[in-house]
Amino acid sequence: MSSNTNKMSRSNWLQRLFWGNKVPAEEVDINKVEEIVSPGRQIVNNFFERKLAVFALCVVLGMFLFVFIGPLFMPNYYDAYTEVTQKNVPPTMSMLSVPSELKNDIKMIDSYGTFSVGLSNSGKVYVWGATKIGTTGLDVKNIPEEVKNTRIAMVAAGIDHIIAIGEDGTVYGWGNSRLGQYGIPAEESPSIAAMPEELVNGKIDVANIKKLECGYQCSAILMNDGTLYLWGNKNSYSNIDKFLGNITFKDITFTLNYIVGLQEAGTTLYTGTRGLFGQVRSNIDGKAVNIADYLNGRKIVSIIANNNNICLMLDDNSVCFAGDFQQNSVPMATLAEGEYFVDVEAGTNYYTGLTNKGNVYSWGSNILGQVDVPKKLTGVSKIYSGAFQNFAVDENDDLVGKWGLKGYIFGTDQYGADIFQRIVNGGKMTMTIGAVAVIISSIIGIIIGCLSGYFGGKVDMILCRVMEGFSAIPFLPFAMILSAVMSQMTLSEEMRIFIIMCILGVLSWTGLARLVRGQVLAARESEYVVAAQAMGVKSFKIAFKHILPNVISVIIVNLTLSFATCMLTESTLSFLGFGVNYPRPTWGNMLNGANNATVIQNFWWQWLFTSIFLAITTICINIVGDTLRDVMDPKSSVDK
Amino acid sequence: MGKYIFKRIIYMIFMVLILSFIMYLIYNLIPNNRAYTDARAEIQTLKQGLTEEEKETRFQELYLTYQRRYGTDTDNMLIRYLRWMGLYPKYGGEYDGLLQGNFGYSYEARDSVINVVKAPMLNTIFINIFATIFALGIAIPMGIVCAVKRGSKTDQAVQIITIIGYSLPVFLFCILFIWLFCSTLGIFPPSGMKTPGSNYTGWKWFVDTMYYYALPLITMTFCSLGSMTRYTRASMVEALSMDCIKTARAKGLREKTVIYSHAFRNALIPVVTLVIGWFLGIFSGSVVIESMFGLNGMGKLMISSLRTADFDVIILLQLFYVAISLIGNLIVDIAYGFIDPRIRVSK
Repeated sequence: MSSNTNKMSRSNWLQRLFWGNKVPAEEVDINKVEEIVSPGRQIVNNFFERKLAVFALCVVLGMFLFVFIGPLFMPNYYDAYTEVTQKNVPPTMSMLSVPSELKNDIKMIDSYGTFSVGLSNSGKVYVWGATKIGTTGLDVKNIPEEVKNTRIAMVAAGIDHIIAIGEDGTVYGWGNSRLGQYGIPAEESPSIAAMPEELVNGKIDVANIKKLECGYQCSAILMNDGTLYLWGNKNSYSNIDKFLGNITFKDITFTLNYIVGLQEAGTTLYTGTRGLFGQVRSNIDGKAVNIADYLNGRKIVSIIANNNNICLMLDDNSVCFAGDFQQNSVPMATLAEGEYFVDVEAGTNYYTGLTNKGNVYSWGSNILGQVDVPKKLTGVSKIYSGAFQNFAVDENDDLVGKWGLKGYIFGTDQYGADIFQRIVNGGKMTMTIGAVAVIISSIIGIIIGCLSGYFGGKVDMILCRVMEGFSAIPFLPFAMILSAVMSQMTLSEEMRIFIIMCILGVLSWTGLARLVRGQVLAARESEYVVAAQAMGVKSFKIAFKHILPNVISVIIVNLTLSFATCMLTESTLSFLGFGVNYPRPTWGNMLNGANNATVIQNFWWQWLFTSIFLAITTICINIVGDTLRDVMDPKSSVDK
Repeated sequence: MGKYIFKRIIYMIFMVLILSFIMYLIYNLIPNNRAYTDARAEIQTLKQGLTEEEKETRFQELYLTYQRRYGTDTDNMLIRYLRWMGLYPKYGGEYDGLLQGNFGYSYEARDSVINVVKAPMLNTIFINIFATIFALGIAIPMGIVCAVKRGSKTDQAVQIITIIGYSLPVFLFCILFIWLFCSTLGIFPPSGMKTPGSNYTGWKWFVDTMYYYALPLITMTFCSLGSMTRYTRASMVEALSMDCIKTARAKGLREKTVIYSHAFRNALIPVVTLVIGWFLGIFSGSVVIESMFGLNGMGKLMISSLRTADFDVIILLQLFYVAISLIGNLIVDIAYGFIDPRIRVSK
């Protein structure tokens, strides 16, 4: 009887008891009531009656699609991506959201790491983006009172500090000051180049400032007469000492590891280190040429550096580049005749340039979409770039365009990689490993279970002992030993992962084999097998063709449940560092960093989201498996 | 019965031999040569005055001595294995292997493996006894209640919670509980075994230890609740559908008597066997929980020896685990026969 009628009749029994059956006679279809449904159909029907199970199935399928199709939408993703300026960023999508008060009144915008600082024409400072700094508890959004109360002339942002100069010439700093980023360091340290005394207590001639620039944990103020004030962390910039003498500069800029200066002559780059940035190329993919040969009498006007390389603007309005570029970088567009760059701004591993015709071009690495300049961009008179964000401003100081990285929906990990991207790509790996391991284990389990159950006798005894032996091996420790043994050998990463799948499969077939054996033992005595034997069907064929299809339901349930188990085991192994290793992501090794209270507390996003994905997937798979077992067991469906 | 047990024990010994041989082979896949390292180390300490050639001959002599001492002076893996087990004489004619009580030497701790294993083993047993008792004390009543009130809201809620409980990996619970109890609530210390620098004895020691063991204990208990509750529930449901229960109800017995006296006893049969298996598990620590909470137990020892490639310790631990699990299988099978006379063990 189909359950729908059943439910109806149950709810209406009172009515029928007192008023008789009001359903018209022609609507009662005798055939329908007594319709016989095949067992398979019955199972499917029963399954779809359970809302939770259907929901779980949808989630599992959705997750599959998510991790197998998702990576196709991330063409720029690669496993080993690291970005030192984007470490441990909390989930935020606010990196491009310029405050509305600032939007029509932009004087300047600067950013280096995870936050941007903006200055309005009225001298007010705004900060947005991921403003909390690591585990220090500092938040650069807390602008000091004295900065709020004065008109600020210029600002610049470092990785964890902001420097602002008031119109009266006072230099302010806030954010992290532990490594000498601003102010007088708490204690003398050989690794700190302290901020000059005259800047801390005295004032600076604002009108004569040529440039204010911040690097990783370092800041510089360059005056029009070439005087350079430079302070910060010597560990981030080893050549800082070479700049502290009484040398005058025309321009100064920071890469990630070096300070680069330009002297009045304008023929070479000054780094204090021989041979560094000695070669230039006309475009990113061009050939490197010795700088003196390339310049050929021309002079360098100004220099702009991003993390690894430097853009040189020459006096004939052309640009060239020194340093190394990442692979797959987008090359600089070829400009039309008579068009040249009037302004070039540097972000992280890319540049954005504004030409004399008002066109904006971006080139360089495009991992996070920072080079995708919007098509409709007109009337641009000024551009600001930093970190992964770009802002275009017209001559009324209105914001006309912004592009680049909005933020990270799930934050970043300890290497600066986007956790969302790693979850998608890691899920693919986790699920593949789980699936392959389950396939291996079921093939072994089904074959051995069938053989052992069907043939019985000595074969059964030997196979049972083998099963016993395998199930006596403690799973996790043994897998760890094998993995440790493998790490001593020279194997490629793919090979290692494949062997891990095999280990998981080979160690986990015993449960299924036992189940199949039991089922086959029961099926062996049934009539159809006797009939097949009487007809002279070969015993091998009986085992696999006649008995196996009858025990398939047990196998399917077991497959589902052990898929979840294999995923869990793989995650545990990777979590302990004996499975798949960094940089290749899996949901297990992405949680590897969360093994101490500090990370668990301060960087909650580094474990929470991955855990949720892993948990939801395994829970839903288990719910599906459990429900399947329930609906396939005729006994339990009678009870329900 | 006696014959059956005897037969099983013979099987078991056979099994241990085969498994240990396989493991010995795997262990020997790792390129490490103790005799070579020891001989090199000793040659370094020798007085300088020797020429290169003299050193070389001296080294060869030493190398041979060490190889003979460790029983590795042959390439035949079977002989090496038998020597390691203590079933085959070494070069000098003496038997010196596992069976003679030579369990190996930990290069990391510079001590015999037995001494290295002692302290972690005690810790693991200590914590596992509590965890097992707690888990059983919660899981069995919960399973019974769920089975009796089958289909109720409570049952459904517990079913969902237990599915979550056994679907999540243990390390996730560790992370969650550390976050909840240490970072957010600040009740328990996140790791460690005793207050640093303290030297308590007696009752104070116990309280301090329990304070540090509380969180791992909670985690361990919680992780094992899921499967245990479901197992109890399933066997209780089975027991409740037996004919004898119907008879008991028909006789007019009180519901409590029916459940606790008739059904529960029948349900206990599979549960007890599981519990016996569990109690053997107290010797093998949880790798994840111990390394997460910094407990000096068997699991942590396992991980640290794997990381430092201290393979004498690892192979002994592994062998120990195998033996425990085989003995566990045997005991469970025998116990089954004792508890449930219907099951004929001799089959």
